[in-house]
Amino acid sequence: MGKILESLPLTIVAGIVLTVIMIIATEAIYDSQMSAPERAVSDMMNNM
Amino acid sequence: MEMELFLIRYLHVISGIMWIGLLWYFNFVQIPSMPKIPDEQKPAIGKVIAPEALFWFRWGAFFTVFFGLALAWRSGYLVEALMLEQPNIGFGMWLGLIMAFNVWFVIWPNQKIALGIVEADADAKPAAARKAMLFSRTNTMLSIPMLASMISVQNPIM
Repeated sequence: MGKILESLPLTIVAGIVLTVIMIIATEAIYDSQMSAPERAVSDMMNNM
Repeated sequence: MEMELFLIRYLHVISGIMWIGLLWYFNFVQIPSMPKIPDEQKPAIGKVIAPEALFWFRWGAFFTVFFGLALAWRSGYLVEALMLEQPNIGFGMWLGLIMAFNVWFVIWPNQKIALGIVEADADAKPAAARKAMLFSRTNTMLSIPMLASMISVQNPIM
């Protein structure tokens, strides 16, 4: 980790990777919070 | 209520620009430039510019968190966000809190040693400067997802 942080470009790349992980985690949390009818509507909207 | 929320959000954003602007100044400008500055000119950075920038940096961090928590509380989502029941803003809040903790309890104490603001052994200075730099870089890394989280509230991507 220290090697990454010593390099500014690698620090930025690590920040972008963390952003992608955060977006995936956010989607997963929202999905887990959906009730069955909400999930059905969401799936229908995604398939339109 | 609308005016109150506007003012709190405005102060949150202004403080945040002060904080993250100076964080990026340190990481994108000052730290990479230090090796290129002649030794006799280094005190201008170490004794004048850095202490002044660190003053606005740490208080920018404090007031960003203060107004951010006030905004979440007055808007009624503070607990839900911190519990990650509203993860888009919740992740950003947690990243901001971790970053502010780093500023006040790691970066600033170590910068005081590195810049000679407090008494310390000569050996302690390089170690303190390195620790402050690594935590400053950590905050630069965390600022990228933190800002994505903050703007996703207005422009949902997640």
